[in-house]
Amino acid sequence: MKQYWKTGEPLVMLTGAALAVILVMTLTLVGVVLTNGLGYFWPSHLVRLELKDGSTALGQIMKREKNPLTGEHRLQLKVSNRDLYGQDFRWIDEKDVTGRSLPKDALLLERREHGNFAGFLSGLSVDGLKVDQATSPLEKLKLARAAIEERQPHLDNIRKKMMTLNQQAESMRLKLLKLEYRNREQHAAEIARLTATREQVLAEFNVLNGQATTAQAEIGGFTAQFKDVSGGAKDIPLVDIMRILAPNDMSIPAKMLAYASRVKELLLDEPRESNTEGGLFPAIFGTVMMVLVMSFFSLPFGVIAAIYLREYARDGLMTRMVRIAVNNLAGVPSIVYGVFGLGFFVYGIGGSIDAIFFPERLPTPTFGTGGILWSSLTLALLTVPVVIVATEESLASIPRGLREGSLALGATKFQTLTRVLLPMATPGIMTGLILSMARAVGEVAPLMVVGVVKLAPSLPFDTTFPFFHMDRKFMHLGFHIYDVGFQSPNVEAAKPMVYITTLLLLGIVIVASSMAIYFRTRMRKRYTSSHF
Amino acid sequence: MKKNYTQASRRRDRLAELLIRICGLFVIVAVVWILVMITRVALPLFYSPKATSIASISLPVELKQSRLLSIGIDETQQELFSLDGKGLVHFIDTRGGTLKESVPVPDPPPGARTVVSAELVSKSLYNLLWDTGVVSSVKIAFSSTRSESGNTIVSHEVSADPEGFFPGSGAFKRSFVRTIEGKGAVRVDQLESDRIRVTWRSKETDLFGNEKATTSSSEIQDPLPAAITAVVLDHAGHYLYAGTRNGQLMRWDISEPGEIRLLDSTAVTGNSPVTALNLVLGDISVAVGDGKGGYTAWFPVTAAGSGEGKQLVRTHVLRPHTGTVSAILPSPRDKSLVSVNDQGVIHIDHVTSERNLLTLKGAKPVAMLALSAQGNSLCSLDTAGNFAVWRLEIPHPEVSLGTLFGKVWYEGYDRPEYVWQSSAANDDFEPKMSLVPLIFGTLKATAFAMLFAVPLALLGALYTSQFMAPRLKSRIKPAVEIMAAIPSVVVGFLAGLWLAPLIDKVVLAFFLSFIIIPVMLLVTIFFWRLIKTASPLERRLRGKEFIVLIPIVLVGTWLAYLLGGIVEVQVFGGDFKQWLYSVLGIRYDQRNSMIIAVALGFAVIPLIFTIAEDALSNVPRNLTAASLALGASRWQTAWRVVLPSALPGVFSAVMIGFGRAVGETMIVLMATGNTPIMSGSIFNGLRSLSANIAVEIPEASLNGSLYRVLFLSAVLLFIFTFIINTVAEALRQRFRRKYGRY
Repeated sequence: MKQYWKTGEPLVMLTGAALAVILVMTLTLVGVVLTNGLGYFWPSHLVRLELKDGSTALGQIMKREKNPLTGEHRLQLKVSNRDLYGQDFRWIDEKDVTGRSLPKDALLLERREHGNFAGFLSGLSVDGLKVDQATSPLEKLKLARAAIEERQPHLDNIRKKMMTLNQQAESMRLKLLKLEYRNREQHAAEIARLTATREQVLAEFNVLNGQATTAQAEIGGFTAQFKDVSGGAKDIPLVDIMRILAPNDMSIPAKMLAYASRVKELLLDEPRESNTEGGLFPAIFGTVMMVLVMSFFSLPFGVIAAIYLREYARDGLMTRMVRIAVNNLAGVPSIVYGVFGLGFFVYGIGGSIDAIFFPERLPTPTFGTGGILWSSLTLALLTVPVVIVATEESLASIPRGLREGSLALGATKFQTLTRVLLPMATPGIMTGLILSMARAVGEVAPLMVVGVVKLAPSLPFDTTFPFFHMDRKFMHLGFHIYDVGFQSPNVEAAKPMVYITTLLLLGIVIVASSMAIYFRTRMRKRYTSSHF
Repeated sequence: MKKNYTQASRRRDRLAELLIRICGLFVIVAVVWILVMITRVALPLFYSPKATSIASISLPVELKQSRLLSIGIDETQQELFSLDGKGLVHFIDTRGGTLKESVPVPDPPPGARTVVSAELVSKSLYNLLWDTGVVSSVKIAFSSTRSESGNTIVSHEVSADPEGFFPGSGAFKRSFVRTIEGKGAVRVDQLESDRIRVTWRSKETDLFGNEKATTSSSEIQDPLPAAITAVVLDHAGHYLYAGTRNGQLMRWDISEPGEIRLLDSTAVTGNSPVTALNLVLGDISVAVGDGKGGYTAWFPVTAAGSGEGKQLVRTHVLRPHTGTVSAILPSPRDKSLVSVNDQGVIHIDHVTSERNLLTLKGAKPVAMLALSAQGNSLCSLDTAGNFAVWRLEIPHPEVSLGTLFGKVWYEGYDRPEYVWQSSAANDDFEPKMSLVPLIFGTLKATAFAMLFAVPLALLGALYTSQFMAPRLKSRIKPAVEIMAAIPSVVVGFLAGLWLAPLIDKVVLAFFLSFIIIPVMLLVTIFFWRLIKTASPLERRLRGKEFIVLIPIVLVGTWLAYLLGGIVEVQVFGGDFKQWLYSVLGIRYDQRNSMIIAVALGFAVIPLIFTIAEDALSNVPRNLTAASLALGASRWQTAWRVVLPSALPGVFSAVMIGFGRAVGETMIVLMATGNTPIMSGSIFNGLRSLSANIAVEIPEASLNGSLYRVLFLSAVLLFIFTFIINTVAEALRQRFRRKYGRY
């Protein structure tokens, strides 16, 4: 035994255990996110519990846990019906449960407001909708819902027109402001003309608004009557119902279809209920656009800096200082970048832009407040070192002989660079680009300071001139996690949404980094075997 | 043609080289630029305040003969006024020194002819004591508007305030009147040098809406140690302060009608007379100036050991004057004071920070002083009848190195403390901005995280680099790198909303796992020995031991969970947290330092792991081979040969991890309660510098004190991480040169 200790084999096991702990922790993290994130969209059974005191409860069983004191189990039931009960969840002691059943006609409705509804259909007020060919009440409800859906495009169309008009009016208002600021008298004619057009646009807007209200009221009149498990009646307008599910009467493929449709909603729809439900589209869009704008700045700068370090700089004090600077750029806390971005980009440059180009709008800031451009620039600075390191590494892995060959054939250094080295280093540069994007997607702290918001009224890119609105605030997946998970009033109900967002973000980051690492390994392999 | 082409490409080459060099150097510029920009915002905190002399004019001839009682100045230093004994308010232009207008005080009390004294009650409200003994109020306000051409035009208004009217008869040295909204009023008269009378007038409305006023009056009966030299009453009319000729400060509670209670009688100056007395904004601290120039601030503090009320304690010593302090004037905006001595030297001090902000010297002794309503204009009238007007620029009076890094005795606290509290609901709240609790929180979080992360990461790196089978290594390393890419907001969210509630339920199991997993490991090691060296099983498992260990770790965790439940019920009566609180007196926060240790540790593990693994792998193979050939075991080789050679690299890995942990924001923000407390307990939360910036900066007004202090904390973070990273990088460069790779 003593000999065994002396060789140090047990200590090898200790180091192995350390690695095992690290791996277990990582897998736990991924596992927790996966189980909590993936399960939420699955329409699980609605269970009716009969309790000892004679009451009943209907809901989806979320959790079962043991009370350490008594050793008894209790169930967490998602009873939904926030508007009736005041909360979505309920804890029920298992010993109080006298009977369980899965009523086939139990419905789970996803609503526009107040979260889900769990209960039973009791009646329909859908006179005037074509629901005759339906056989069962549920079929009728579904048909009525579909009929309303058909009318929806009309309303959406009006709303879209209204939005365009609104934007037009707003841009005219800003133009007017500018003209008035410059010189009232000189532009009197122009001002009068604009004011008149604006009035016209606003009048048009009001007409459309009236139309929208009527259309809304018209389809809002169709309702369905429901009962919750204890018989409480609830009248729900059909327009408020997003999706109708009867989870106890659904086959697995049907459930999978429902799942897919919810995933689609997640990716393509706007958030609802102060971000705790609905989709993530604006956040995904904001994240992607911010990252693209960021890459536009960080990639060229990073690549050139790496070329300088690897190809042009001689090994000396200067190079060492540049290296130290690169490492410090990578090591400075991200929040410091945020603070810098706020002081320099937002209040410094943005403030100056406002003073020079948009003085008429002051004190309402245009660029002098957080926005997507400033966020991108801040993150560009933060991710430059990633690009530099990856590019440098790939340049370093290109064998010397290739450079020398090119130079010997009479090419200038620059020609060697652009025609030989850079094409060969492309996988490495790609690695750097992807890694920097992955880093930017997950970075939240600086964005909180320089322009991310919980709910942006409009996307930073749309169809009105100049298409890219760099001054707009935007939404971001990472910030969404923080905001919904920690700032929303009903954290328990918001949790599933946070897990799904986390899953999405984690997925993006893991896929991106895996791709980057794959590129890098390929790049490394390509040259290690072929020494000249 | 060919020549042209060569020339063109040469030119292009030179141009490209220039551009590339500039771009490369721009990296250095960027780093320096970041530091310069954030420092530039933070630095004005420490700029010395400025007073610009705007005007120096002599009293207009029309006023040479009048007895002046009070003066005042507007915000823009364009106009000042003086109130004379006849009840006239004279407005004077500061640029020419000409009398613009004289306005009589509206509605003087019947029969009253002259004003005996005037007291500035609040921003622009004056109480006038008339020769008949009646007190009335007058409002003398300035307002400024911006004209079309961009000039500011100052206008003034004198209006009566009937609320402040209080009847009386007789001659008084001085009188104070305070009206209490809807309740009545209280009046304090100093009859002679040692007699003070308090009169209460209370208004009551009965059920039928009839108002009934009752008046009661009583004189202070407490024996006075000497003649009273200064008196001051707070704005609510609750506490009356008096200073005596032998340096006693007395405080009475007069808040209950008909009842005068002596609360304090303290020697404050050491026998020299109290010559100036006034309350600091907020009416908690009282500033005392004495005949020898001593200048201190006092407020009531719960005396240590005694159960009864609060006693006046000297909390701040301000810079002494060279001669008798003749007057003290509080700033209407913050806890600053303007004071003047008998030689005409004006001091502006901030009480809490004990900073002497400005010292202004006049030629003649000063008779009267006035501050504008926003506190940025100062006006003095000297005994020779000359006005002097200053514009004050004191942007951050409350901030000094002392308040940022030292203990400060804030109002309402029983002792000097380190406090961070930047905002509160009430108006006269004083922001408390000590960076010490935040620095403490940062270091605490970092220390716990490093304690958790360093052993795991380094041992894991050692295993991966030295013992692991090469094929596995090429899979595990990228896996850890991907782990490094996990966004901190994800880690923070899971720590805050999943791990914290979980550990909250199984605290004991969490602790037990630190014992049980090692025990399980020892058991495994013991059984491992039974596998014969060079047996097929051993050969198969060599370099893959950790795969066997993963289930061991899982089983250990599960055992700890089971045991934790049993121990909690058997030993701690079923509730460990309750036990902790009732027996040890330790409060348990759900989001505490243990959560931070795990979460932040988890975030830095991949970083340390990757760099350390690189360093260990880069040790030349021939060293390892030589050691093994000499008969050393693989552990001996790793421990005695590889690790010492790679030590600089390993050390720099730890430092870079440290730097990252110090600056990490989202995890600390989400996994702690963000309470800026200084407690070493692992069961309490904390607030770090970085999280503090994220929490507070959205609420900080541009260029305000909080804004600049937050930038200062960013500067601190930058400098701290800069040092760590530079040292780490220097170490790494040396290590690379030594082994010549890369």
